[in-house]
Amino acid sequence: MIRRFLFLIVITWTALISYGGPTLADMWEDRVKTVVAVEFFTETELDRRSTNTFGVVIDDNGTIVFPSQAIGPRVSPKQLEDFRIYFPGEPTTQDYSATYLGRDEFTGWEFIRVDEEVARERLVPISAYEEAPEPIVTDEIWGVGLKKKAEDFKPYFMSSRVSVLQNLPQRTAIAMSEVSGLGLPAYDQDGRFVGLSIGGFGRSFMQYSSRIRGGVPVVMVNPDESAVVMLAHEILPHLDRIPTNIEGRPSVWLGTNGLQPLDPEVASYLELENQAGLVVSEILEGSPAEKMGLLARDVILSLNGEPLPVLKPDQVVITYFQREMSRRNPGDKVVLGILRGSQRQQIEVVLEDAPLTPREAERRYFDSLGMTIRGFTYRDGVQRRLELKDHHGVIAHFVKANAPASTAGLLTDDLIDEIDGVKVTSYEDAESILETIAQDKERGEFVLLVKRAGDTAVLRVKLK
Amino acid sequence: MLNVLLWVGLLLTPTASATSSGFERLLDAVVKIDVREVTFEGGTKRFGSGIGSGVILSKDGLILTNAHVVSPEAVEINVTLANLERVSATLVGWDHWTDLALIRLDMAEIKKRKLLFATAKLGNSDKLHPGQTVFAVGTPYGLTRTVTRGIVSNTQRHFEDSRGVRGYETGAFNTWLQTDAAINPGNSGGPLVTENGKVVGINSRGYLGADNLAFAIPSKVARKIIGDLVKDGEITRSYIGIVPGVLQDLEGFYELAQNTGMLIKSVDTGSPAAQVGIRGGDILLSIDGKKVDGRFPEQLPDIQNQIASHSIGATLKLEIFRNGTSHMKDVKTEKLISRVGEEEAFEEWGLSVRKVSRTYAREHQLDKSDGMVVIGVRPGYPAAVSGLSRGDIILKINRQDVTSLEIAKQQHEAYAERPTSVLVETSRNHRVSLYVFKP
Repeated sequence: MIRRFLFLIVITWTALISYGGPTLADMWEDRVKTVVAVEFFTETELDRRSTNTFGVVIDDNGTIVFPSQAIGPRVSPKQLEDFRIYFPGEPTTQDYSATYLGRDEFTGWEFIRVDEEVARERLVPISAYEEAPEPIVTDEIWGVGLKKKAEDFKPYFMSSRVSVLQNLPQRTAIAMSEVSGLGLPAYDQDGRFVGLSIGGFGRSFMQYSSRIRGGVPVVMVNPDESAVVMLAHEILPHLDRIPTNIEGRPSVWLGTNGLQPLDPEVASYLELENQAGLVVSEILEGSPAEKMGLLARDVILSLNGEPLPVLKPDQVVITYFQREMSRRNPGDKVVLGILRGSQRQQIEVVLEDAPLTPREAERRYFDSLGMTIRGFTYRDGVQRRLELKDHHGVIAHFVKANAPASTAGLLTDDLIDEIDGVKVTSYEDAESILETIAQDKERGEFVLLVKRAGDTAVLRVKLK
Repeated sequence: MLNVLLWVGLLLTPTASATSSGFERLLDAVVKIDVREVTFEGGTKRFGSGIGSGVILSKDGLILTNAHVVSPEAVEINVTLANLERVSATLVGWDHWTDLALIRLDMAEIKKRKLLFATAKLGNSDKLHPGQTVFAVGTPYGLTRTVTRGIVSNTQRHFEDSRGVRGYETGAFNTWLQTDAAINPGNSGGPLVTENGKVVGINSRGYLGADNLAFAIPSKVARKIIGDLVKDGEITRSYIGIVPGVLQDLEGFYELAQNTGMLIKSVDTGSPAAQVGIRGGDILLSIDGKKVDGRFPEQLPDIQNQIASHSIGATLKLEIFRNGTSHMKDVKTEKLISRVGEEEAFEEWGLSVRKVSRTYAREHQLDKSDGMVVIGVRPGYPAAVSGLSRGDIILKINRQDVTSLEIAKQQHEAYAERPTSVLVETSRNHRVSLYVFKP
C-alpha cells in the first residue's frame, strides 16, 4: 500500500515536470552559456593595462559584444591587444584568444570574435532563445552575474522585478535591483530573452557623517551589475551591425554642434505642443549642415517629416536625434524641419563621412623627450574654437611626468604650433623634426611654441 | 578676558625705536574705514559691510586706502579718526590695478564739529633697502591704531593676479614692497612707515596661512595715482593686447644679446596687436625706438606702464623680432578696460547680471563681447524657476540682442509694468539654450 502510494507520487511529480518545462535552475545553467568574461590589454606609453569585462554571444560564429565604456575615450584601437575570453566558473588558466572587430557607434557595442573553433562550439548565442514580449511592471526578470577573475568568473544568479519602463530613447525596463552583470542578458520566467543590461546609471543617496554638518548628496554606481535592461526589440535587429574595420567606419556627421532640448515652458511659448525641439548652438565649418544653409540657433523640429518625439528627461531627445543620424550612412539624405526666428522651413541635408577622430589619428611616443604627439583632428579644432584655416599643429597626447617635456611645462592636450621656430604644418612634419631631435645625442635643448586655452607659451625643453 | 586685553595693550606700546615726533604724528593720521556697499549677488540688491584702514594725506581731508576696501560700490563710508571721532567720507576715485583708492572727509562736517586730525607725509619708497625696519599701522580685525613691526623683505616683488581686487585684475603695472610686519584682515589700506613716520607703502595683502609674507604698494606708485585720481577721478591707461612674458634663458634660442627684448607670451584675440599680426612667441625689442628689457618678471610692470602711459588712440612703433628678423609694426592703442563689467540686479526677475567685458569674452573664447553673465538668481523668482543659473550668458531677451545693459533694463521695466512671458536666449560653454521667465 505504501509502495503504491510512493509510486503514485513519483508519477505525478514527473508529470508536473514534463508539463511545466525546465526549472529556473535548469534554465539558468543553460543561459550561462551565452555569457563569457572578456579580457584585453591596453598598451600605453608606460605600461600595459589589463581590463576585464563581460561579453554576450550574438551569433554562431563566436561573435561577442560588450559595452564600449570598457574602453577609454582616449584609447586608440591600435593600442588594444590580446583579446581573450574565459568561460564562467572554469579555471582561468584556460583562456581562448579572440580578435577585435571594432566599435559600432550606433549601438555602442564593441565586437570581438573568438578565434578557436573548440571554444566557439561551446558558445550559445542569445538568438537561440525566444524573444520575450515586452515585460510589464511587476514582472520578475533574472540573469547571470560573473564574479571577479580571482574567483574564476564564477556565475551567480540574480533576479528582481520590473519597476518602471521608459524610453531613453530606446525602450528600457528598470528593475528594483540588479538583474545581471553589466552588459549581460536578462530573461523572463519562461527563459525568454528580455534584453541586455546597460550601464551608466547611478542611484542618488544622501551621505551623513559625524564630521560634516548636514548631508552630502552622492551618486552610487555599481560598476559590475545593472538593474537597467534595454529591451530585446531594441537589440535583436542590430546584431548584424558587425564592424568591417576597427575604426568603426563609415561614421556619418551632420555638423550641428551643442544640440540643446527645448524645455516644456519654452516649447509652449513657441506654440510647439506635443513635440520636442532641439536648439542648434553652432554649425560646424565645412559640415553638411553648413553646406545646406542650416544656421546656429535654428530649432530642429522634425526629421523626414516626423516631429521629434517628446521624451523624458528632455535631454533624451538629443540621444534620439544623434542615434537617428548614426544609424544612417554617408550619402543618405535627411530632411530637417526647422524653426528660424518665427519662420518654419524644410532643409534637405546629404550626410557625409565624419572627419578623422582623435581615436583614429596617428600618434608616436618619444621616450627620450617624454611625450606622445598625435595628429591634429577636426574635433581638436572645434574644442579649441579654431577656424578651419587655423587647423594645424600636433597635440601633446601624453606627457610623461618628470621627463624633459613635462619639466619644460608641456601639458597634456597642449597644441604644439611650432617646433624650434618651424611651423608644424602636418603630423609627418612634426614627427620627423622630433625624430631628428630625439636621435641627436649632442643636442642640449629645443623649443616648443604651444597654445593652451587661448594663450601661447614658449617652452624650452632641456635635454641635457 | 581683562588679562588678555591688558596683554594685547602691552604689545601695542610703541617700541623705543619708533618714538620720533614724525611717528607720533603719523599715528594721528591713520584712520579706520567702515564701508557699507551694495552687491548684486543672488538676484537682488543687497548691502554688505567691510572694514579697512587708511591714512590722511592732506589738510583738505584726502585719505589714501586700498581699492579693495573702498570701491565705487560703496554707498556709505565712515571714517574713525585717531581721536575716535567718526566722520563720513566720499570716494574720489579708485584704481584696482594698483589696489589704491582715494576718499575725502566731509570737510563741512569736520569744520562744524571742530574736529582735528593730523596728516601724514609720503616718503620715498625707492630709497628702502631690504632689512630696513618698517612699521605697519592700521585696524586689523577692527582693532584700531594697531602698530606692528617688521623689516622690508623685498623691494621689488612682482605679483600679478587676474582677479585679485574684488574680481578685478591687479599688479600688472606695479611691483610691491614685501614686508614681514604682521598684516591681518583690516590692515588693508593702512600705511607702511619708516621709523621717522614717513609713509613708504600702503599695506594691501598677505599670504593667508603663510608666516609674515605681506605686500604693500610703494609710495612712488601711490604718488602718481593720487595725482591722477584727484585730477580726473579715474586712471586712464592704454591697451594694445599683448601679454608679456620673461625672456630669461631664452636669449640663446632666439640668438639675442642678453638684456634685450621681452617675450610676447600671447596676444589677445581681436586686440590692436593681433590686428597688425603680432602673435604669441614674438619678441618685442623696442617701443618707439626705446629698447625694451624684459629678462625678469620684476621688469615687466615698467614695460607695461610704458605702453599704458600713452594717450588713447596714439600709435606705437613696435619693433618685433620673429624667426631671426625684426619688423616694425604700428599699433594704435585702445582704452584699457577691466574684466569686470557693470553689474545690475533685475529684481522682478530675481536676476543679477554683469555685462560681458572684452576680457571676459576673450577668457571664455566668446565670439563677441555682447550679452551679460548671470551672477546670481533669487530662488522662487522667474529667472530661477525657468532654470537659468549662475554662469549662463544672456544673449537675447525677447529676440532682441543684449548689446548693452540698457536694453535689458528696458525689457525689465516693460515686464515690471505689465508682466508677460519673456523669452531668453543664453549660452553656456558655447551651448545655446532658451528659457521663459513666467510672471
